[in-house]
Order: sequence, then structure tokens, then C-alpha cells
Amino acid sequence: MKHSALDANEALSPTSVGMTTGVDAQASHLVEVWGDTVDIRHLAWSVALGIGISLGAFFSANYLLALYVHDAAMTRAYAMLVGLAGCLIAGAVCAKLFKPKREVVDQASDTARREEVLDQLAAEAGGLGFVADLPLPVATEMKELGLYDVFLKHEQRIEASKRALDEGFVAANTNTPTSKESS
Amino acid sequence: MMDALAHQVLVAVSMGLIGAIAFAGIGLVSGTDETTTLAPLTLLVALLGVPPAGVFTFFMAGAVAKHMTHAIPTALLGIPGDTLAAPLLQQATMLRNLGVPHIALRKMISGAIVAAFVAVPLAVLFAVLLAPFGPSISKAAPWVFLAAAVAIAYFSSGRWASVLLLVPFVLVIVGLQALTGKYGVKLSVSYFLGIAIGPLIADLFSILSPADRAVMRRDRVKTFSLAPDVKGWSGYFPNPLKVLDRQQRNWTVATAAVSSATFVFSPVAMTVVMGELVGSRIKHAYHRLTTVIAARNGVTEATYIAEALIPLIAFGLPLSPVAAGPAAPLFNAPPRFFVDTATGHMNNLHTLMTTWEFLGYGLLSVVLAALIAYPFSMNYAHRAASFVARRLSHEAIIATFAGLIVVISVWEGQLLGFLVIVTIGLLGGLLSRRFGFNTGVQFMGYYAAVLSVPALTKLIA
Repeated sequence: MKHSALDANEALSPTSVGMTTGVDAQASHLVEVWGDTVDIRHLAWSVALGIGISLGAFFSANYLLALYVHDAAMTRAYAMLVGLAGCLIAGAVCAKLFKPKREVVDQASDTARREEVLDQLAAEAGGLGFVADLPLPVATEMKELGLYDVFLKHEQRIEASKRALDEGFVAANTNTPTSKESS
Repeated sequence: MMDALAHQVLVAVSMGLIGAIAFAGIGLVSGTDETTTLAPLTLLVALLGVPPAGVFTFFMAGAVAKHMTHAIPTALLGIPGDTLAAPLLQQATMLRNLGVPHIALRKMISGAIVAAFVAVPLAVLFAVLLAPFGPSISKAAPWVFLAAAVAIAYFSSGRWASVLLLVPFVLVIVGLQALTGKYGVKLSVSYFLGIAIGPLIADLFSILSPADRAVMRRDRVKTFSLAPDVKGWSGYFPNPLKVLDRQQRNWTVATAAVSSATFVFSPVAMTVVMGELVGSRIKHAYHRLTTVIAARNGVTEATYIAEALIPLIAFGLPLSPVAAGPAAPLFNAPPRFFVDTATGHMNNLHTLMTTWEFLGYGLLSVVLAALIAYPFSMNYAHRAASFVARRLSHEAIIATFAGLIVVISVWEGQLLGFLVIVTIGLLGGLLSRRFGFNTGVQFMGYYAAVLSVPALTKLIA
């Protein structure tokens, strides 16, 4: 009976205060079911509507068809068809009644994300590779997409840092980098 | 004679078109599992008395079309279009973040088309090679299913837990069957659907428990970022063979060929393994991403086609994860199609269609699916993904599936059917969530209960 308690809380709080309370009120009902967020009150309604509409369609079709069609197996198969149509209608009704609980943002990629992916790729087992090794069609495809230079630059940067690291190792034999920093 | 053939082809074309259009749409809705959508609709088509060729093309065109459009939410929204799209998500997300989601989409869909055309003739060929063993396999069916159930359980993420869980799970099914048998009710579809929608049923139970609800609470809505629309070709749609470069074509064809032969493994596992194999052979990271994503989506098509076709043509018994799940109604749609292992009597697409018909209608299905789903995905992907994400609430999808569970179970077994579907769905959903005893293993568990248990009891008695 937690439901009624929640409803009572909601009744106490004035709903027309402003945007934030509206959002909070909704947020307190959000749950994740079957891989996506839903509002628990809407969920209860949609399960009820889904069962009610589809079962109603199935039984009434079964009853009406039995009056005209005398093949019992056929009647049941067609009643199931009507029942499935009922499921779709229930889905459409709920789509109309309840808005999605998702935020969809149109987003183009930015350089920060690109760099992140390049770092990820470089860390993978096969590494980033070299654009010089690419077959011509792939290189052309990457140039058309503007990715050729992006990969080339990143690859050069990795090479440069590798070289720096190697030199660092040589230097480390005589003077450790940490002691250099601390001094 | 000619008229009969023309009529049959006409039925097949129209059913194939209906399947392709319906499932191209369903593929857009992420989270719609293949089994929960393909199985009941194919069953319906079978029960309505559609000729065998029509039932077959409906299923095949639907499956192929769905595996093309499932690339749309995967590439543009970063959410897997269905169970099989999950292994594609990593590459798709990276390409999206590189700013080229349209490349991910095009490579995936072109890979799917190429693989589908390779998989149909090869699957038929493998089936013909295996067919001589058909009779002996059918005779040993109870033991084959038992062995397959154990193997598929071991390869699920639950490993030994899944193997051992088969015992209580099968026991529950045998018990439920004894119970419904007392009242003269024989159920099969309810078990399939219960297993397929189990995770939803388990979640709906959890939400009623205050303890579980606390865990499922969220304080904010999920955010999805929709990648922008980029059209990079002239004309209505690009040539799929030109979208892939030579290496990508070769890899797609090769992995599709391999996965057409290995029909007993889980399609998801094949997709992952083949992708790793291809990825390890390609030096440059960008080329690796695009080749792996093309090959992987090709494998999702090829395994699906082969796993449905080979058992259908060679054995007439649902001896693969796909045949046991989404394609089950092609084997078993009582009272129309049935398999009786006790007598060895069989009446399903295996006995109703010839090998040449399977090949011809199989290719026809791929052509129809490609004609519908390919241009659609190329031109309307962004708009479709935006519509689904912004307008179609998850509540609406749940309402549809709640209705589906109730209608199918009440249709099959009145109140008892409903009780069984809820019981098996709850049990299966919880076992899958807790132990990785996934739906594929559960389907095999059902077959073990129906086919292997009677043979086992006979052996012991």
C-alpha cells in the first residue's frame, strides 16, 4: 500500500509551484524496468490497459466470430489476430497518454570525444596502426570523412611520446625524472 | 500446375513483403527481442492457414529485415536494437564518437545484405550434406536434445550453474505439464513466450516489492544523444557492394560462410567470436572498426538464416538456438505443424517443402527484405530513430507486451495458460538475471522436458 502513501504525499505538495517541483514529483516515481526508465504510475496504467484492451478484443472477437463462423479452430485463430491488434491499439493508446521518460539531445561529435576514442583505440590490443599501411580505398574513404589527418596526427603524437619515453629511460639511468621534478 | 505455382509464389511474395515491412519497423524499437516478436507473429501466420511457402517467407524476410534495421538505434542512439545487436554496440559507439555514425550504419547494413545472400545457398548446401544423417538423428532426438541442452547451457554465461539449473527448470516444466494435463490442457507456445518475456515478468514482480523497488528507482531520466544525419551519396541509395571495400567484402563473405556452417552455437557468441577473429587481422584502427562492424552484422544475419534453415531442411527438428526459439513455429505450431518424437511422425515445413523450395523462397525472402529495409535504412534512419526515441514511450512497449502475454496464453489454455506463462516467465526471468541462465538455455530446457524426459523415464523404469 505504498502507492497510496505516495499519492497522499503528492496531494499535500502543491503541484503548481514551478518547474523544479514538477520534475521532482516525476523523478520520485521513476524506475528502471526492462532496460528503460518509466514512471511507476504510468507503468501500472499501461499494464492494466494492455491487458484490458487486448483481452477485451480477444474475447469479444471470439464471441462475435462464433456466431458466424462454425469452424472452432479458425474462430480462435482469428480471435487471436484481433487480440494481437488489441495489443497494438493498447500500445498506441499508451504512447499517446504517456510521454517517453528520455532526454534526447541532438549531438554532433566534438574534438574531445574524438580524442577520447583515439586514446581508447590506441590502448586496444591491435593499437592505432599507421595510416601509411592503409589500402588506398580506405585512405580515400578516411580523407573524405576528414578522419585521415585526425588519425595521422594522433599516430604521430603517440610516436613522439614513445620516443620521448625512450629518451626518458636513457635519462633515468643517470637521473630519475621524479628526483628531477622534486629538485 | 502452372497456376498452382504462380499462386504459391504470389502468396510467398505478399507474405514476405508483409514480414519485411512489419519487422523493418519492429527493428527500430530497441529492446524488442527476436523471440518475443518473430515467434508469436510467425505462429499466428501459421495458424491462420497461410500456405507453407508463405509462412516461410514471412519468417525469413522478417528476420532478415529486422537484422538490417536493428542497426539504426545501434548506430544512431547507441542502444542495441535487439539481443543480437549488443555485440555491435562497442564499434558503433566508437564510430559515432568519431563523428561518422552514418558510416557505422552503412557498413552494418551492407554487411548484412552481403552475408544474407551468401548464407542462404550455403545453409541449404550444408543441410543437404547433413540430410543423410537426418533419420538417425531424429531417432536419437531425445538424446540429441539432452546433449544440446547441456552444451548450450555450458556455453551460456552461467557455465556450470546453468548446466545444473537445467534439472530444477526441467522439473518445473514437467510438473506444470502434468498439472495442465489433468485438465486436458496441452501448452507449448505459452512456455516459449513465457521464457522469451521472462525478464519483463520478473521486473514487474520486482517493482511490486518495496525492497526491490528501492533498487530499481532512478532519480533522473536517461539521456540519449542522437547522432546527426549525414547523406554522403548521390541518388536514392548507395550500392552495398561499393560501401564495403575489398577486404571488408572478403571478411564478410568468409565469416558469413563459417557461421552458416556452425548452426548449433548461439548467434550472439558467433557474432562476438567472428568479430574478434576479424579484428585481430586488421592493422589500422579505423579500418578495424568498420570491418569488424560489417562482418559482425553479417554474422548476425548468416547465423540466423543458417540456424533456421539447416535444422528445417535436414532434420525437421528444432536443433539450434534459433530453431528452438524464434523459428519454433516453423517446426511446431499445433494443431497445424507438429513433431511427435514417440512415433517419429512429423508434419511441418520440413515435410511440406522441398529443398529447392527452401532455396528459392529463402533467396526471395532476402531480396524482399533488402528491397524494403535497405533503402529505408539509408534514407530515413535519422528520422525513424528520432521518432522512436522521442515519441514511443517504454510504457507503450510494455503495454503491448503485457497484452501479448495475456492474449496468447489465454488463447492457448484459458486461465491455466495464463498461470503457466506467469510462472515460467517469473522463474526464467529470475534465473536469467541471477545466474546467467539465459533464454536460449531455457528453450532447450523446454525441449529436454518434452522430448528427453519421457525417454529418460522409460530408460530408468
